[in-house]
Amino acid sequence: MVARYERVLYNFGLKMCGEAQDAEDVVQDTFLNVFRYLKGFRYETKFKNWLYRIATSTCIKKKRKSKFAPDRELSLDDFLPQDEAAVENQTPAWARLPLDQVLNEELGRTLKTAILELPEKYRVVLVLRDIEGFSTEESAQILNLSPANIKVRLHRARLFLREKLETYYSDYKHG
Amino acid sequence: MHDHSKCRELFEKLSEYIDNELDSASCDAIEAHLQNCPPCQSCLATLKQTVALCRELKSSSMPQAASHRLRTMIEQMLVQ
Repeated sequence: MVARYERVLYNFGLKMCGEAQDAEDVVQDTFLNVFRYLKGFRYETKFKNWLYRIATSTCIKKKRKSKFAPDRELSLDDFLPQDEAAVENQTPAWARLPLDQVLNEELGRTLKTAILELPEKYRVVLVLRDIEGFSTEESAQILNLSPANIKVRLHRARLFLREKLETYYSDYKHG
Repeated sequence: MHDHSKCRELFEKLSEYIDNELDSASCDAIEAHLQNCPPCQSCLATLKQTVALCRELKSSSMPQAASHRLRTMIEQMLVQ
């Protein structure tokens, strides 16, 4: 079990907390709790979902000791173009090129930083859905939220990251 | 005449559209709107690329020393 999940939990911890030491603690505390509560595990729940439920709650507990992005609501209106001039009529090059021509070390770092800037309740949904690959239903089960709530948070998290990428490319173009 | 009120409607549903979570009537309406709306085409393309980039982010290995500590801790726990 450790060999199978150690790396994925470590990366989940890194995306959620940002610091290697915190991510190591997340892995350790998650496994401790898994062994502690294994007897109470109900087989109708998929083991991986249960494991991430424990890991998520471990990350949230770490929040008090770690420097997380402040909790705030992201509104859809925040991401709508403010005026006609801000509307892109042409798809920018970074969205047209194949991924291997776009994703380099610097962009990877920019994206990871942007993920850490997301308020936690949006970050956890984005990490589960778009990085760990859980479905809407599975994420809802892990976080004890409704599927509709997962969809709303995911969309706003994606729009937040899209805006950060647009800023990155616009700075790049003008810098 | 282009109906810009549809842009906001589409904007709200873009992630569900990308994730194939909409019914076929909603998908048809979105695709019909997209055909004549370059800003919405751009919005969809940039959002899709954002999701694709997240999925491609490289993962890291847990440092060996931490991995060793973890295994030792679990072994000790199992012995007790």
